[in-house]
Amino acid sequence: MDISFYNYFLFPFLQMLLLAAFAPLVSGIIKKTKALLQNRRGADITQDYYDLRKWWKKKTVITPYTGFVFMLAPFMYLLSTMLAAFLLPNMMSNLTFGDIFVFVGLLAIGRFFMALSSFDAASAFGGMGGSREVYVATCVEPVMLLAVLTAILKSGSTNIYTMALNNGNQINVAVVLACIAFFILLLSENGRIPIDNPDTHLELTMIHECMLLEYSGRLLAVIHLASMIKNMLFMVLFSLIFLPIALPLAIKVIITAMGIALMESLNNKMRLFKIRAYLLATGGLLLLAIVAQ
Amino acid sequence: MTDYVPIFFATAVFCYILGCFAVLIPRKHQLFAHYFAQVMSILGSTLILITAGIYLLSGETALLKVAFVGRYMLAIDGWSSVFLCITGLAGILTSIFAVDYALAYIGKRLRELSGLWNLFLLSMVLVLVAQSTVSFLVSWEVMAIVSFLLVNHDSEKRETWQAAYQYLVMTHIGTAAIMIAFFVVGSGSNGLNFSELNISQSETTARNLAFTAAFLGFALKAGLVPLHVWLPNAHPAAPSHVSALMSGVMLKVAVYGFGRFIFDFLGPVDFWWGALVLVVGLLSAFFGALYAQMEKDIKRILAYSSVENMGIVFAAIGAGMLLLTTSHKEYAVIGFTAAIVHSFNHSIMKSLMFMVAGAVNHAVDDKNIEKMGGLAKLMPWTAGCALTGSLALAALPLTNGFIGEWLMFHSFAFLAQADAGTGVRLLAALAFILSGLASALALGCFVRVFGVVFLGRPRARRAESAHEVSRFMLAAMLIPAFLIFVSGILASPIVTIAQHVAEANLPDLKMLNEEHLLIWGKDSGMLNYDTFVLLIAAVVITIFAWLIIYRGQVFVKRDVIWNCGTEPTLRQQYSGTGFSKPIRRAFDFLLKPRREVVFLQKENKYFGRSMAYTLTIPDRFTEKLYIPLQHHLVKTASFLRRIQAGSVRIYIGYVMVAMVLVLIWGAM
Repeated sequence: MDISFYNYFLFPFLQMLLLAAFAPLVSGIIKKTKALLQNRRGADITQDYYDLRKWWKKKTVITPYTGFVFMLAPFMYLLSTMLAAFLLPNMMSNLTFGDIFVFVGLLAIGRFFMALSSFDAASAFGGMGGSREVYVATCVEPVMLLAVLTAILKSGSTNIYTMALNNGNQINVAVVLACIAFFILLLSENGRIPIDNPDTHLELTMIHECMLLEYSGRLLAVIHLASMIKNMLFMVLFSLIFLPIALPLAIKVIITAMGIALMESLNNKMRLFKIRAYLLATGGLLLLAIVAQ
Repeated sequence: MTDYVPIFFATAVFCYILGCFAVLIPRKHQLFAHYFAQVMSILGSTLILITAGIYLLSGETALLKVAFVGRYMLAIDGWSSVFLCITGLAGILTSIFAVDYALAYIGKRLRELSGLWNLFLLSMVLVLVAQSTVSFLVSWEVMAIVSFLLVNHDSEKRETWQAAYQYLVMTHIGTAAIMIAFFVVGSGSNGLNFSELNISQSETTARNLAFTAAFLGFALKAGLVPLHVWLPNAHPAAPSHVSALMSGVMLKVAVYGFGRFIFDFLGPVDFWWGALVLVVGLLSAFFGALYAQMEKDIKRILAYSSVENMGIVFAAIGAGMLLLTTSHKEYAVIGFTAAIVHSFNHSIMKSLMFMVAGAVNHAVDDKNIEKMGGLAKLMPWTAGCALTGSLALAALPLTNGFIGEWLMFHSFAFLAQADAGTGVRLLAALAFILSGLASALALGCFVRVFGVVFLGRPRARRAESAHEVSRFMLAAMLIPAFLIFVSGILASPIVTIAQHVAEANLPDLKMLNEEHLLIWGKDSGMLNYDTFVLLIAAVVITIFAWLIIYRGQVFVKRDVIWNCGTEPTLRQQYSGTGFSKPIRRAFDFLLKPRREVVFLQKENKYFGRSMAYTLTIPDRFTEKLYIPLQHHLVKTASFLRRIQAGSVRIYIGYVMVAMVLVLIWGAM
């Protein structure tokens, strides 16, 4: 076997599986921290593994109206997050591999299919979730690209690996602004408070959970795993590129997780149509960062 | 191999001309005439594709003569062969579709439709190979008129001829602007041949005027904002296969013409030229995507999506032009490469989507997406093709729609890093904001189109009895669907060819020598988008997923959805209008939607009142720009009419006054 097989395929693949394996744990850390901050004891940090196992074992109920898109969507969501994980800088070999725009594009595949699946059950609530998801994505996407632009300007490259190498070598206003802005994006993109509440189950206020209202059993487990991986991916990306602290990656991810828990405890969910102004302000921060650089 | 190019080209033209003569076949053999014309156009397009393909693959860059018409030379170079490739490929695809689809027009001028179809293809080919002002303008005009006739095919319908005449007027304004541009460019040279036209030495005013006129003319044909108003009207009016060809090819011919001016005639690029093209392109991308999300007519949605995609092409060209004025000229290639790649890919995916629109229209007999729904079960193959096209138009990775946008983002990134001051950097930031908005809106738009048309339950009686289209039409749709993935995965060679063409057009630059934009499996390429590794990874994950997730899956039962304890009705599903509501509300300062709720009084004052709700989202450019303009034009005309009182004595008086004035002027 050629060495490039390991570098280009095996190592990223193992890393991808590693990321998938740890994603529920990180989700558990967020939930536990949140519980502690709210003076609750909370569930064990491994609870998400048990939840996934529970769903996995349960049988699936599907509606008579659904077609192939409904069956395909959870898998495509998982696939898109897995492929995006593939592009992250490789811990085992120092190859420059992933392009940041491809990363953003791959995650859009998952969004596309999940929003589509919301139509397929022909319910009144599903479409609501898909519609809101598309709206939030429309507000997030331009700001996300601005955040990417700050990272590009800082490192002179569109490669995630080079960006990660350039992280933390200097701390100035621009870096701090970009860090704050990307943290807000991380919350928005993953359906966290103040954009969406991952714990709510009231049909009228949900966004992400609303799209998966009709899913059950194994398909639901796949969707939840995919969204945990997506959350993890953004946390890793944040730690690698935007968080200007020189610490090991695992610790930075845990710090980020605790930061998310803190934010979720301190804030309320925002009205849907306030999101526009909220992300506009975030975009303003990033423009300042771009000018200051 | 290039020795055979003139033979292939001449045969192609011969095929097209033969196809035109289908009009002369007697009416009782109209089916034969139709088949004959379509076979000829498939043959001709194939030969055009071969001609351009040979030239591009040979790696040549010099001008290659293909024919002489009188004293006018017809020749191809890299830039025109790219667009010939597009014409050939989209010509084949849409002609195959037309063979069966156009049968709906039996007895409705079918011979004329098929004959003009050949003439339309021929005129576009001639525009691309013209090497002098006269032959260019003549073919351009033929293209405009033939496309007008094709749009106006269902001329019995009021909205059809209205749209067609609007198109005719608009396209002639564009032609006038292009003629002005040619006059200005030609005034400084000895001849009318393209090789003699160059005004790089002329004064700034002339060059600015030539640029403005050329941009106006070609932007109008390409449907850029605010000159796009004809496009969303013309596409729904025309037969679907004609829309496919217009969107797939004719809009790109405008890109060809604009590139010809930029590369060959106008000389060094000014900063504001690039900035203008970039900003207009970005605004088109944004507004196109925004209006595409608001529309209900499937073909209007696709037309606005074309506005968006042409915006992307021009934004990439604008970024390239701006980079030419900075110290990092070599990166300009990325912008132009993005434009070429996206033009090529868009022609495939937009042809496909118009065919899908035709198929759906055929099955449901309605163009309103709110009257469809649940078609994925009744038309599974069409749904598969539509899903592929939607993925590509939403610019998702591993389809071909992603590559052009991805390269465009890179050209913006290089623009931001070009060390040309904060202004340029903010311009690049604006480019990221608007193109990000456009791509997110496009994604939402195609989620909406596919979701409302193909998923859920049928929303109207007619949609319940829809049936799959004929095998022939399916084959015509499956080919571009397949090509979307092929050209999405074989991105590297396509980008390399496009890069080669772009470099050949910018000869006096230090290029990215030998450095390819993207290369498989090695990290020596400048940019990394390894479709091959991603594909293998995707296949491996898919196999695992199939083994793990789906194989052991047990579905206990199919049961009705949760609807708060009530039986779900058809009208409770999310509609397309409802789906785009949050976006409409977020951008209501731009869209200014008009809502009207009317309470219809019944006998009982308190109970059983019915309500009528109408929502209209007029195109703001029409409302704020064109209607006032038209109003002023009519007003001025009626004012000027006073001098034409119709009395002979007054006219004699005018002659007298004019003579006196001339005499006085002569005396001075």
